[in-house]
Amino acid sequence: MLYFEDVELGDEIGPLETEATDDGVLAFCQVWNNRTPNRFTDQAIAEEANLPGPIVPGIMSMGMMARLLTDWAGAEALKDLDVVFRQPVPHHKPITIAATVTDTRQEDGENVVECDILMTGAEGERYVGGKAIIALPSKP
Amino acid sequence: MATELEYDRSLYGIEHDAGPFEVTESQIQAFSRGIAETNPIYTDAAAAKSQGFQDIVAPPTFCTIMVHRVSLPDIGLKFGGKPVTGGMHAGQRVQARAPITAGDHLTASSHLKEVYPKTGRTGTMVFIVWETTFRNQDGTVVADVQESFIRRG
Amino acid sequence: MYLDMHSHSVSSDDSRATVEQYLKWIQVLRKRGHVVDGIVLTEHRKFDYDKDYAALANQYDVVVLKGSELDTRYGHVLVYGVTEPLTKDIDFGNVAMDTRELLKAARQHGAYAVPAHPGRFGIGLTEYIQQGEIFDDVHIVERLNGGSRKGENERAWELCDDKGYLGVGGSDAHLTSHICTCLTRFEAKISNEADLVEALLSEQFQPVWLEDTTNNPTSE
Repeated sequence: MLYFEDVELGDEIGPLETEATDDGVLAFCQVWNNRTPNRFTDQAIAEEANLPGPIVPGIMSMGMMARLLTDWAGAEALKDLDVVFRQPVPHHKPITIAATVTDTRQEDGENVVECDILMTGAEGERYVGGKAIIALPSKP
Repeated sequence: MATELEYDRSLYGIEHDAGPFEVTESQIQAFSRGIAETNPIYTDAAAAKSQGFQDIVAPPTFCTIMVHRVSLPDIGLKFGGKPVTGGMHAGQRVQARAPITAGDHLTASSHLKEVYPKTGRTGTMVFIVWETTFRNQDGTVVADVQESFIRRG
Repeated sequence: MYLDMHSHSVSSDDSRATVEQYLKWIQVLRKRGHVVDGIVLTEHRKFDYDKDYAALANQYDVVVLKGSELDTRYGHVLVYGVTEPLTKDIDFGNVAMDTRELLKAARQHGAYAVPAHPGRFGIGLTEYIQQGEIFDDVHIVERLNGGSRKGENERAWELCDDKGYLGVGGSDAHLTSHICTCLTRFEAKISNEADLVEALLSEQFQPVWLEDTTNNPTSE
């Protein structure tokens, strides 16, 4: 159980190392009801959209980033995740998700932890970056 | 320049509604698989119930796959007199307000928030921002999702 | 004096950091042994006349100055010492404004304009210079930018060597923990925007990485 008092400014969360596969993206598109083939699943369609290859949907990246935080803080702790999709995320390339605690405070009676969260590539590519707000319980 | 940007400004203040949509166990499991989520409360009803939930729980960004179910109008965007279509996802924000579990019935209500231009590595772009509020069968707001799209001028 | 010359708060559309969060983070950097004296907020396509950060600046002992980052025909430009006459003369929201006009107008109205991330692919000043454009009024560019991709700071460096431009450094932070990754080291003491313009005109400054600053007093 993670408590508010255990967290300090500057704490690093993660990293979570992962990768998006063609099958994973296809499955995501299906539950999303996004008709395939599309720029997330098909090379030719991706190239028509000026992309080097099929990319990972932004909201799939976002879901993966949320996972880092729910693993760390618990299932109901994540209150707000706000990200910018900076660079297209390719399939089958290493992805690192990590976060840094940038603020801890009391707000509206809750213990709030804020962190910067980034999804980066093997060469330091900043794929997705943003901010998360997490509510944590106090030590009993 | 702001004066070169034309679009249907009458869309501000109009809500576009959709639903109710049932959130099913299989949808939640498929979403969890898609993001490689293995926490059992997101994949197994028994595990979720043992932790006090009504049923299997949707991961916090689950609503992002339902935003598109709201039928949104074309804003009729023109930049410098030329129609601008297509678009890529530029950013997203999810504020998770209350847990969503299998069996919930959600309604969605979307409105246009903002349209603005900027320049970057790939040229001039126009950003279009929509906000969607999801409510469950009790009228409780379960999530607010803000989506930002880029169109290239 | 170490200043981060390029940062965005939530007042910029794509930033997620508040000014207070930046100042709290600077305390973390100082505890880690770095020297940071101040930041310049260079918000996208606007100047925040109405925002007053004096109380926060005092509370956290960090100089907080205001500037702008404008979109122009030939890339982004940082503007320091923004004045009312300047914002009357130039529409800060015009993403296709004439870069040369901006550079001249800034000087005319007591401000100073510095091309941002000149090595950035697709939109840096180097792209336009390679296409044959000439910019007589450029003397200082942002040589070190914390948001650069691989190769972009190197291109900016080459441009400076090639053209004899002076260079400043800034983080281009849009997230709290990215503030002050790059800074500018000024010889002068700077307390306000007018001092900053003076310091730029004095030509006594260097861009530096955060890693190269230390509060170990024996290392000067």
